Amino acid sequence: MDLEREVEDMWKFLFRRTLAMLFTVWVVSIISFAVIQLPPGDYVTTLMSQMVSQGGRELTPEYAEQLRELYGLNESMYVQYGKWITNIIFKGQFGYSFVYKRDAVELITERMPMTFALSMSSFVLVWVIALPIGIYSAVRKYSIGDYIFTFLGFIGLAVPSFLLALILLFVSQKYLGQAMIGLFSQEFADAAWSWDKFVDMLKHLWIPTILIGLGGTAGLIRTMRANLLDELNKPYVETARAKGLSETRLLLKYPVRHALNPFVSTIGWTLPNLVAGEVIVAIVLNLPTSGPVLYRALQSQDMFVAAGFILLLSILTVIGTFISDLLLAVLDPRIRLR
Amino acid sequence: MSDTLIEVNDLKIHFFTDEGVVRAVDGVDLTIERGKTLCLVGESGCGKSVACRAFLQIVHSIGKIVSGEIIYHRRVDNNFEETIDIAQLNPKGRQIREIRGKEISMIFQEPMTSLSPMYTVGNQIMENILLHTNLSKEEARQLCVQLLDQVGIPQPHRLVDEYPFRLSGGMRQRAMIAMALSCNPTLLIADEPTTALDVTTQANILDLMRNIQKEYQMALLFITHDLGVVAEIADTVAVMYLGKIVESGDVDTIFNNPKHPYTQALLRSIPKISRTREKLDTIQGMVPNPYRRPGGCPFHPRCTQAMPECSTMVPSVTRFSDGHTTRCLLYENITTKQFAELS
Repeated sequence: MDLEREVEDMWKFLFRRTLAMLFTVWVVSIISFAVIQLPPGDYVTTLMSQMVSQGGRELTPEYAEQLRELYGLNESMYVQYGKWITNIIFKGQFGYSFVYKRDAVELITERMPMTFALSMSSFVLVWVIALPIGIYSAVRKYSIGDYIFTFLGFIGLAVPSFLLALILLFVSQKYLGQAMIGLFSQEFADAAWSWDKFVDMLKHLWIPTILIGLGGTAGLIRTMRANLLDELNKPYVETARAKGLSETRLLLKYPVRHALNPFVSTIGWTLPNLVAGEVIVAIVLNLPTSGPVLYRALQSQDMFVAAGFILLLSILTVIGTFISDLLLAVLDPRIRLR
Repeated sequence: MSDTLIEVNDLKIHFFTDEGVVRAVDGVDLTIERGKTLCLVGESGCGKSVACRAFLQIVHSIGKIVSGEIIYHRRVDNNFEETIDIAQLNPKGRQIREIRGKEISMIFQEPMTSLSPMYTVGNQIMENILLHTNLSKEEARQLCVQLLDQVGIPQPHRLVDEYPFRLSGGMRQRAMIAMALSCNPTLLIADEPTTALDVTTQANILDLMRNIQKEYQMALLFITHDLGVVAEIADTVAVMYLGKIVESGDVDTIFNNPKHPYTQALLRSIPKISRTREKLDTIQGMVPNPYRRPGGCPFHPRCTQAMPECSTMVPSVTRFSDGHTTRCLLYENITTKQFAELS
């Protein structure tokens, strides 16, 4: 079969997947907007109850009505969604944050890169650790090393990341005299970006990276081990061995390549998992990522911020799935050629 | 300079499983002559596949070669020969890896799964060539196309870049044969290469194997349970039952004058086309549980001519004329009786 046809097939595949992706994002945008509106009341009710609980003056219904008018909360959901989505698409505006009294875009662009950096570094860490350990555990099945990694893996799976974060805070406070909180040292926290600030960030980044990646690593080790065990006794491995290939070359070219297949398809669900794990760890460690902001926005019905974040995270997830599909097609001719 | 290529002496391969030890190969003797075809015949589970994997040291990791030797007479050039005991080689070592795929190559039973779907047919054949020769990639590719043509694959220029899952079973087996031939092996081991194919394809593949064997002047160890195939291609035959060779000899002797009751029963169980309809003879009983092999002669529980001593005495090899041997007490008694009469 010729290369041209294969390239053409690949473009068709890409086109189909991109269309499906756009459709998914559209549906997700509707759902995320609707979900934000589901709880009774809106930001104004939250504001009113806050003022009452703080012992302040009660808002007059007229003033509340004025606020609703101002924020556009009076209109029907369809109209609100229409305004929201057209502003995003055509002006890149995500609305206004009631809580922070700022443009939601600013909040998001401020927090999103950090979230992304953290998720990506955790993701890379998960793969770099899980892949070789998984291969080792499968090839040396029931060896002492396999048992040790299995034991550690299950501990990693079972211990919630926020608990580890708390333990880490305690230990660092008690023995290092400084709590490992945040992503920057105090002198850099509000400074403009510079090389020193970047280095400082890297120094702090490894702690949340490990905390967030831990659970996923344990899971992926098990996945890789199970996948590879399935492949190790397949006839094509015997064929390769009968050719006289060395065990390492054979292992990497044949069974590992086959076992990567289901492994790669886990990318799709690994990304949202990392982001979800990030919320709790970020709150505990007080990280400048999207997690704490999203959490607060959901609590106080700061709807434009919440919807904006959820939309962006969903897009990330869809992109993750798309990447994994793409990698699968590159890896496995059976998928590429149907 | 002998014509013997491989001599197997008292080879024992045991599998150490959680349930116990399986003596898959339990004292096998075989001789493979240069350029000749040896058919190894036996029921499923008799150990024939395990035995032939030992020739390449690719027995599954829970199986160990416990004792015995596999003497390989390697012809270095036209007037010098060295002998290697393959049974002593490290399965992961360099020496056995140089023999695999180059001097001794193998074709497997399942053409559908023996090639990886991830790489093209050409890639997997060229891998063997590049591993064992100094050819460049381009030369290897040309050789590959030539080999595919030789094994009867149409449009080899196109199919060399095709993935295995787009080929039929017969085509894949042809590709496997091309791969096995790629370095001019002195011995080709074929482990039931036609079992998974339909009947017409079987006949084609057999024809192909017969032709290439003549052309390449290589020895062929053909493993099968199909006696029809044996009659067509074998020079010599070894009949295996529960890890032991119970009878061996040249193909005419085995078919016309079988000695061992098991061989006789096997030959009786071939369907014949005759005017009168007869019930097909079968061998009574089942293959015994591998963990509880019968004592004495392993075949005695199913043997129609079993004698009381068969359950306790292990028969040794009885030699008849021209390399015809069997392991059965029936003949041992005759010879000992004769021996007693003589003395």
